[in-house]
Amino acid sequence: MRPSIRMLPLAVLAACFILAAAAPGRAEPARDAILADLATQAKAADAGFSGFSAERGKALFSTRHAGGKPETPACTTCHTNNPRNRGKTRVGKVIEPMAISANPSRFTDAKKVKKWFRRNCRSVLGRVCTPREKGDYITFMMSR
Amino acid sequence: MSEREVRIWDRPVRLFHWSLVVLVAVGIATGYYTSEWWMGLHAAAGYGLVLLLVFRVVWGFFGSEYARLASFAHGPRAIVGHLRGLVLLRPPHYLGHNPAGAVMIFALIAVVFAIVVSGLLVLGGEEHQGPLAALVGFNLGAAAKAVHGTLTALLLAMIGIHVVGVAVESLLGRENLVYAMITGRKRLPPGAPRPGPRGARPWAAAFALGAFALVAGGALAGISRLPVPDPGTLAVDETYAAECGDCHEPFHPSLLPVASWAGIMAHLDNHFGEDASLESGTARKIAAYLEANASEFWDSEAASRFRVVSADAPWRITATPYWVAKHGGIAAPRFAAPPVSSKANCAACHRDAASGRFDDQNIVLPAVKSAGES
Repeated sequence: MRPSIRMLPLAVLAACFILAAAAPGRAEPARDAILADLATQAKAADAGFSGFSAERGKALFSTRHAGGKPETPACTTCHTNNPRNRGKTRVGKVIEPMAISANPSRFTDAKKVKKWFRRNCRSVLGRVCTPREKGDYITFMMSR
Repeated sequence: MSEREVRIWDRPVRLFHWSLVVLVAVGIATGYYTSEWWMGLHAAAGYGLVLLLVFRVVWGFFGSEYARLASFAHGPRAIVGHLRGLVLLRPPHYLGHNPAGAVMIFALIAVVFAIVVSGLLVLGGEEHQGPLAALVGFNLGAAAKAVHGTLTALLLAMIGIHVVGVAVESLLGRENLVYAMITGRKRLPPGAPRPGPRGARPWAAAFALGAFALVAGGALAGISRLPVPDPGTLAVDETYAAECGDCHEPFHPSLLPVASWAGIMAHLDNHFGEDASLESGTARKIAAYLEANASEFWDSEAASRFRVVSADAPWRITATPYWVAKHGGIAAPRFAAPPVSSKANCAACHRDAASGRFDDQNIVLPAVKSAGES
């Protein structure tokens, strides 16, 4: 049986829709808004602020910090060295990847972002993170 | 059957005897030697014993001559006479149970019955399973457990005496009594008149058993409608599951007392070495849920046991004396290795951890994965 040629436009249309839906949405308004807000705060704290840096974010992510709780010296303690990997909490519960490429919904819920930076900066660094550190961190995760 | 042999033990009596041996052996093996998750088989052996005992008592009225309880309910004089004969190494001959043996048989039936009843109390009270799940509280169940164990030790001693008695009687009477309980036949001593025993009344027995089944079934159906204290019926609070479940399984509120939950929720900024702080409204809501459903409000085994917390670490379930005692045989690396990863990962082995029930039958130890796997 020959597929009807009249169905072709429909199939093309369907394919377009699927591609559009599956295309990596580089523009994520919620995340952009969170970053923009952090940038405003960073600017207010430091007039010389000239944008976030994935490099600085990477350093923040990988460094073993002093001052936090001994159980969690670094972000990598739970998130592993590769942000594209799944991590594990101290009691073994799976943490979905932090890298946007592996987990597109990261940093799109302002409330969650606030909660986890508050908790984890205190656990790892022993202090709150600056707006620039938070922005660097998110920028690093967007580059991965 | 030779001229001088007669049928003494009818088929139901022999089947009863050897089924009893098997079920008691299963009960003892699964009670003393196997891990918790064999409890299902242990309980099944118990239920089997209930059926056996009921049958035996009914058959004790409607069975053939030597199966009838009245046929071996010897008086004290016969018992003393028989024992004196034993000491003089020439015990009088009996076709059915001899008086000393009969005493042991009544005692064995009574003790097995008491063991089964106490077992049902343990099952109902401690585990909230079985027919008495709704009727018996945890404390009564725990008390019954001590009785259950003591009676079983007594039963073991009685079984020993019973076996020795059979051996002695077999030697002195020059008759293999074990073989007699298999074939049902015994030798007729020279000169003894052939017994004309009463026959069995199987229809009467069936009627009695049927009547019993109706009454017992009705009673079981009645008590099965009663509400069983079951922490699994608690609706999980969504905020709790979402906020706390991000880092660890949301432990059932019945696993710690009110004071422990209050302490944990008041110090989320240092939560077992981590900052787990929440917005105050969220924390208050979760604390209210945990405290309203804490261990004080449940009669389950886990709630009853974990109500007693460690003085040094009153917030840590895995530091409670009962937890430590129960998991002491498990090496630390076994907890650390995937897929368990942590002592806090109850559900790795307890399939019903989320319900707070922690039934023995729901323990399944996962296969150990090598370090490379995840």
